[in-house]
Amino acid sequence: MNVDSVRIVNIVESLLVSNDDAADVNRSRLEAAGVLTINLMSSPGAGKTSLILRTIESLGERARLGVIEGDIAGSIDTEKVLAGGASDAIQINTGGNCHLEANMVHRALDDLDLTGCDVLIIENVGNLVCPTHWALGEHLKLCLVGASEGHDKPIKYPNIFEVSDVIVLNKIDLIDYVDFDRAIFYDSIQALNPGVPIFEVSCRTGQGLDAWTNWLVEQLAPVRMEG
Amino acid sequence: MHELSVMSHLLERVESHAERLGASKVVTINLVIGDRTSIVDDSLLFYFDMMTPGTVAEGASLKVRRTQTRCHCSTCEQDFQPDGYGYRCPACATIGEVMNDGSEFLIESLEVRQ
Repeated sequence: MNVDSVRIVNIVESLLVSNDDAADVNRSRLEAAGVLTINLMSSPGAGKTSLILRTIESLGERARLGVIEGDIAGSIDTEKVLAGGASDAIQINTGGNCHLEANMVHRALDDLDLTGCDVLIIENVGNLVCPTHWALGEHLKLCLVGASEGHDKPIKYPNIFEVSDVIVLNKIDLIDYVDFDRAIFYDSIQALNPGVPIFEVSCRTGQGLDAWTNWLVEQLAPVRMEG
Repeated sequence: MHELSVMSHLLERVESHAERLGASKVVTINLVIGDRTSIVDDSLLFYFDMMTPGTVAEGASLKVRRTQTRCHCSTCEQDFQPDGYGYRCPACATIGEVMNDGSEFLIESLEVRQ
């Protein structure tokens, strides 16, 4: 036998299989607690924290919402959502990392009180590229876009629109002022992710939020049954 | 900038496979990465060179096979490559259906020395 032989071994596994495994552990833990978990992704400034605050308000007594806040630095958002009525909130500071990973969420879950929490929103770091690859243990990926970012976001950042389970278009009150072409936006999403629910909202005026939270409440039933 | 995290996860998997296979050296790492994943080859190679010294993958060749986004037009029954301005068929303007090509994100194979 030639001890110096070189051989080719087929692997064919995701580059991020170890993260995917850690995400599965988080998902099991959240399901055992009966908590529907959402990975909220958007560019910086699209209104992630505003959507969380409006969602808490619109859900009212129908469901309690907990939050994990991912930011490069600071805890401003955690303070805001706790003041806004979140059942509990934990800050993750990535210290420069452009996305959250499953092991960061695992550690946050050790500190987060899930008692009385029906929905957990994990607010990812503001970024349309990196967060798409890292599963966190969520049931749903939510892509939030602000109308002022432009209708071409699904063409420039296709991956996030392709992998999301729901898309929320915020700042709809500005749509006539920012030359947002709905046809291009909707066409592109139709190509990338046919049939994905899209909700148009304004976190400033409150428009469209009830339709969004009604849909969200419908998603709760299967996870509550698990827990 | 997420290539640093990707490379860190990748090398963890490569070391684990090398150990499982009883390999003394990893000669080549073959990846398949789709264009829609927003992974940059040069950036991967930069971190690869930085992170592999002293590991079983030191000096290995990192080969990336890129795949491009393809769409299918259900009217023409033809595949086409989107032009960067949208996803409509260049022949009939029907909205195409984006196919899996271009979303691959895999370690395809390893070439190892025993």
